[in-house]
Amino acid sequence: MRKIKQLLENFNTLYIEEYKTTWVKTKLSTADDLLMVAKALKEHGLRTIATVSPTDFLEENVIEMNYFFEDLMTNRNCWLKCDVPRELDECEIESLTPLFKGANWHEREAYSMFGVRFLNHPDLRPIIVSQDFYDKTPFRKDFDWDAHDKNTVKNMQKIVDSFKAEEAEADKGIDAESSETVLNWGPTHPASGPIRLKVHCDGEDVIGIDPDIGFVWRALEHLVTKKDFVGAIVAVERLCFMDNVNSMTAYAQAVEEIANVEITEFAKWMRVLLGEVSRISSHAMGMGGFYNALGLHTVAMWNMDVREFFLDFLESYSGARIATAAVEPGGVRYGLQQNMLDELQLALDKFDATKDSVKDIFINNPTMKMRASKQGFISNLDVQDYSLCGVVARASGVKIDVRIDEPYAAYAEIKMDYVTQKDGSAKDRLINLFEELEQSVDIIKQAKRHIEEKIASGEFDPTKDQMVKVPKKLPRGEAISRVEWSRGEVLMHLVTEEKGTSPYRLKMKAPSFNHTMMLDKLLAGQTLSDIPLVFGSLYICQGDLDR
Amino acid sequence: MEMIFNVVVFPGILYVLLWTVGLFWFFRKFMAALHKRVGPSFNGPAGSYQTLFDLSKLLTKESITPDGVNPYLFSLMPILAAIIAILPTAVIPWTANTTVVVSEYSLLGLVVLVGIEPFLLFLTGFGSNNKYSFLGGIRVLTQMISMETSFFLAALSPALLFGTLSLTSIVEQSSWLTFLILLPGFLLYFVALLGLLDQPPFNIPDAEQEIVYGFYTEYSGTNYFLLKLAEFAEFMAVFAGAATLFLGGYRGVFFDGFSFLFAKMIIIAMFMMTIRASTPRITMKQMLNFSWSYLVPLSLLNVAWIMFAKIFLLGAIS
Repeated sequence: MRKIKQLLENFNTLYIEEYKTTWVKTKLSTADDLLMVAKALKEHGLRTIATVSPTDFLEENVIEMNYFFEDLMTNRNCWLKCDVPRELDECEIESLTPLFKGANWHEREAYSMFGVRFLNHPDLRPIIVSQDFYDKTPFRKDFDWDAHDKNTVKNMQKIVDSFKAEEAEADKGIDAESSETVLNWGPTHPASGPIRLKVHCDGEDVIGIDPDIGFVWRALEHLVTKKDFVGAIVAVERLCFMDNVNSMTAYAQAVEEIANVEITEFAKWMRVLLGEVSRISSHAMGMGGFYNALGLHTVAMWNMDVREFFLDFLESYSGARIATAAVEPGGVRYGLQQNMLDELQLALDKFDATKDSVKDIFINNPTMKMRASKQGFISNLDVQDYSLCGVVARASGVKIDVRIDEPYAAYAEIKMDYVTQKDGSAKDRLINLFEELEQSVDIIKQAKRHIEEKIASGEFDPTKDQMVKVPKKLPRGEAISRVEWSRGEVLMHLVTEEKGTSPYRLKMKAPSFNHTMMLDKLLAGQTLSDIPLVFGSLYICQGDLDR
Repeated sequence: MEMIFNVVVFPGILYVLLWTVGLFWFFRKFMAALHKRVGPSFNGPAGSYQTLFDLSKLLTKESITPDGVNPYLFSLMPILAAIIAILPTAVIPWTANTTVVVSEYSLLGLVVLVGIEPFLLFLTGFGSNNKYSFLGGIRVLTQMISMETSFFLAALSPALLFGTLSLTSIVEQSSWLTFLILLPGFLLYFVALLGLLDQPPFNIPDAEQEIVYGFYTEYSGTNYFLLKLAEFAEFMAVFAGAATLFLGGYRGVFFDGFSFLFAKMIIIAMFMMTIRASTPRITMKQMLNFSWSYLVPLSLLNVAWIMFAKIFLLGAIS
């Protein structure tokens, strides 16, 4: 940390300060220094860039760029800011993609949403947004959504036209005599989900893959700015339904930090409990998804059978099985009753009763190992370069887990360790998923025991402690908050205005975005059969891919 | 009169239809138990009408013919596939005196009719004017070439052992001893059968996660129904073939009859389903490697073992 500060002192900065336990926050006086600072940081070990998040300040007439550099090995991070002019012609900045491969799509996203042009970017095409948003800047504060919506029919026509033009272009440049072709793998492909991979292949061999994403773009980051601080959670939880609790926790923490509110111990433990249940619900589906990609649906069904019991618990707690809206700024939404804990115990018993057979049949499955242990290798360096996280990173042997590195909620008091594998193949990712399921169940048991003991001793009052008051209007401020989401690290960057009643800007860095970036690298030179396997093993959810 | 009964009722069209619907229903129910699935349970007792409803839905749905294909070839192929798949029922001895076509060479008829089926499926993929269908068609052909060698060699082992190509006399000569001698042949036949019927782990030609639905992709409505009918009728031919060749056909423990043949076929179907529920798909390369490096050499060894057994265990040399 001290070294990073020293290093930053060599440059023209407005301020350098420590932020939380693992961050150094700084702002450059001029954006021209960015490339040099980034280079210096990279040489210093901060090889990873989590995300690029522009904030549009209409009154100051600037766009503030936020770069989040991370060092996954030693857990030192740097939050770097700089201003770029707001006028579209001058709104440009050096691209970091040549230095940090993981910045690629994030810069493309900033380009599509805010119109920031990145100089020397290798492939600066719009991403996520549909064709009718090209050359517009939907996330800028002065973008007129109503005017855009009035032309719905025209906009649709634009999308259709461009698809037709692309279809006509697709096979051009390919030798008609050869067996090369371009396959549209999605968005209505049985295994793709709402994503389209343009697969350039020669017979069964894959030459290259160009993912086309954005089919479920809901502009969540824009939606939250239209809601109040509590109402925003319903947009935040839709990052991905499978694990909705942890994303809400990340958002709630950011709001609490700006409001300067400390939540109760009970609420912290409840966030752990709910978060892990949610993680199980997601991981169970993730394992199913992996095997579905191999044409075997039994695992998904068996896991669904167990998962229903955990959803029963969520239902008894919040009234909803999937979109629970159970965490909000200030704590958790509801109190806890004994019958809810009984439901949870049923779920834990069910998991323990079935986990051995799942392990014997599907984790040690020889056919699966034969296929998956030779596919989709991700090395330790790839993880750092492409900013991978969660299961994918840990399966490659990288010890990162926000729950341990930067403990939030009550994770500091939980006994847990990194769950890692060695090789980083598709098989390792599946095994890691299963072991994390076991770990989550273990954490739930610890949290449940702790809560029950504290209730018995009278330290927790489960009917009153769940919430502390958070003011409806927040001061001007900004915060970042990280949680270990089921798919990996979620980083939320929240900016508020003075006396603001709704978020001014919320950037959600979601893991699937980076993981999808890897597809071309992992699959070029493989065969068509490997696409679903590798795709399934990366544990991608289109919800947090497009947001 | 008897001929008409044979063609229309048993073992003709009505029987094939009943078998198709019944097996479809059985596959679903058996799979549901393995999958821990609960539904559907609304139509009829325990949801047993569901399959009939699905069937009527399929038959009444519009059959879409895509642009740019030869419509006659496109619609002819499913009919041909269904007919070819039903034909083997004629040569199988269903009971001691129900064999429609009694022939010295009925085994040959069986393997040939089963063997040309994949070629028809290849043509359906070829005639669909769709990249995924075409890839599926190529995969069917590749798999057919790799799997049929061992399928034929395994199917011929009883013929070698008993010295006849007539299915009827193979059944009549079978005993517990020959069952044991033919056991390796049966296992090879079963594995090759999985490949020939595109069943997991060899469901490569219609791997929906890779190439959508392979050669089926463009088919819908009645044409799709006919292709499915062909698939299930082929199940019957191949299962009945396995039961007849290796497990003694209609011969039972205390009495002989169709029920024993039926039970044997269902047991083979259950084995197939269990493998389907627990084994992921392998890739094309792995299938080729498995077929030519292991299955075919083992089939040849099996032929040698049959000759050995015939000479030394059954004392064929005189």
